[in-house]
Amino acid sequence: MATLDLSHITKSFGTAQVLRDIDLAIKDKEFVVFVGPSGCGKSTLLRIVAGLEEATSGKIFIDGRDVSREPPVQRGIAMVFQSYALYPHLTVYENIAFPLRVQRLAEAEVRQKVTKAADILQLTDKLDLKPGQLSGGQRQRVAIGRSIVRNPKVFLFDEPLSNLDAALRGDMRVELSQLHGSLNATMIYVTHDQVEAMTMADRIVVLNAGKVEQFGTPMELYHHPATKFVAGFIGQPNMNLIPSTVKGTGSDGLTVELSGGHVMTIPVETKGVSAGAKVEVGIRPENVELGRGMDVKINVLERLGGVSITYGTLAGTRFCASLPGDAAIREGETIGLTMNPRDAHVFDAAGKVLRRTMAPALVA
Amino acid sequence: MSESLFAWLLIAPAIVFIGFIVAWPLVETIRLSFTDADLGGENWIGWANYAELFSDPKFYDIVWRTFYWMFLSVILKLVMGLIGASLLNAAVPGKALFRVLVMPPWVIPIAIGVIGWKWLYNGYFGLISGVLQNLGLVEDRVALLATKTSAFYSAVVTDVWVGTPMVTLFFLAAMQGVSRDLYEAAWVDGAGRWYRFRRITIPQIMPVIVSMALLSAIWTFNSFEIIWILTEGGPRGATTTLIIDTYKVAISSQRFGEGAARAVVIVILLAIFSLFYLFFLNKVNKRYGAK
Repeated sequence: MATLDLSHITKSFGTAQVLRDIDLAIKDKEFVVFVGPSGCGKSTLLRIVAGLEEATSGKIFIDGRDVSREPPVQRGIAMVFQSYALYPHLTVYENIAFPLRVQRLAEAEVRQKVTKAADILQLTDKLDLKPGQLSGGQRQRVAIGRSIVRNPKVFLFDEPLSNLDAALRGDMRVELSQLHGSLNATMIYVTHDQVEAMTMADRIVVLNAGKVEQFGTPMELYHHPATKFVAGFIGQPNMNLIPSTVKGTGSDGLTVELSGGHVMTIPVETKGVSAGAKVEVGIRPENVELGRGMDVKINVLERLGGVSITYGTLAGTRFCASLPGDAAIREGETIGLTMNPRDAHVFDAAGKVLRRTMAPALVA
Repeated sequence: MSESLFAWLLIAPAIVFIGFIVAWPLVETIRLSFTDADLGGENWIGWANYAELFSDPKFYDIVWRTFYWMFLSVILKLVMGLIGASLLNAAVPGKALFRVLVMPPWVIPIAIGVIGWKWLYNGYFGLISGVLQNLGLVEDRVALLATKTSAFYSAVVTDVWVGTPMVTLFFLAAMQGVSRDLYEAAWVDGAGRWYRFRRITIPQIMPVIVSMALLSAIWTFNSFEIIWILTEGGPRGATTTLIIDTYKVAISSQRFGEGAARAVVIVILLAIFSLFYLFFLNKVNKRYGAK
């Protein structure tokens, strides 16, 4: 059992408030990803959990025990750093053994634990090498090995894949997910990469400007983004946000006129909005298709094979669409796009979502 | 113009320069060491200067004293430098001020600093003697430069005082180059301050420690002005190192030939020492992963 609860965590550096009232309850064996743009406070939050940074106020509970005032080693956490933080003068073996040496374990026990970790991470034939002789992915594994041997309750990863090239990043993503499965431990993972967040997380915490925007499963965030920020952050390519005006409300939802004149009725809760209000309609690039409706001018066309991504404008607003790979379209032309209003999202002037009433059921 | 000729042209100025300031004086010194040169002229006398030197028991005392002086002073400088750099590297308020305050021994002209020390050591009006007497720790005045043992160790203290700031700043620079992540990773793993210092800081700055030890050793070996201003090699030769002895013979007594023989011995000793050291440095760099 290793739950992690954060209660009203705030953090200020001088007058700059980096974290505002963070409340999170992370379940045992959960893989939780903190995601957000740089400067959103996600690394600071992780460092507070690790004990490398002290929260200005608030409490941290691991397994229900208040560890807010305890040094890192007593919290039962292990951390993998973005830079890997390997000791360049020590061999892979000694790097992995470092936490055990600190604990002054007997040599036989050290050997047994290091060998086991090296086995899990396929580092057995690298144990005598120095970190400088390893590739980026291998260094990453050594750093993970060093965290495994301590048998921590909670693993903390601070952007561990950001120094790797794209192909390796993909491989390591899979390896980390498998590792999570085999270690059966609670893991917190910080990244600015929404693909990592979507693919690895059981649940995602989206942070923005020191606040939790939303905490939910990847598909929840995708289908039910709570705010405009989450909507724009999750999904690739990003969701289009079209300035629109409310024309009327009814039992079937909200009737809006998109900039450019296209009118549609979107099935969302209409409480608190009335005709004439300014809203933004969120349309995911993958939810549109060629047809009569919105007139979009294509500025750039990227043919990726299976899909064609178009970057253009809808009445002056940037509009991206993901269309079939062989769509008969050209750069520079204006095309008509249509969509099912059930797939649209609506955000009020404050950026809060109007809950969708006919969204698809969430898959597990 | 052929490529190699052009290459030679490019390095010619450097070769000429080194020839004038290094090679020629060195050759000339070696030649002088085989003569009885003085103000009256010179005659070739073969190995006579060396024979005399190596048959003089006092010369072995001087060689021994020089190495003792060097090792003692260098070790003290390194230890003080490590302690100083660690303190300056700690996150304490006003550390910028402390970093500046380390500098004076290095920055003020050596002669002036050493004259200050000469006053401190003086038996009649020296601060040290005065304080010791006033505290009742000694009965009579203490002239630290007047007895053989105290003069030697007083000279070491002054040499350490002059040499420590540079060592400290080099160590500090090296410590600041150690990634903070390494310390944080070790801290997360439960390593205490001393453990981190021993297993991270020291190995990480080891190449700098070894390089500084070599440079400092050569400078200390050849350190002239500190001893000369304090004691001129006295009392009764207690602070006479090879370089002081060479100066006394070659310049004070104007026996250039004999002085040159001593200078050649210094060059050979330092060359052997440096070779041994570079070999060692190479090993350290391999072990501690310097590029």
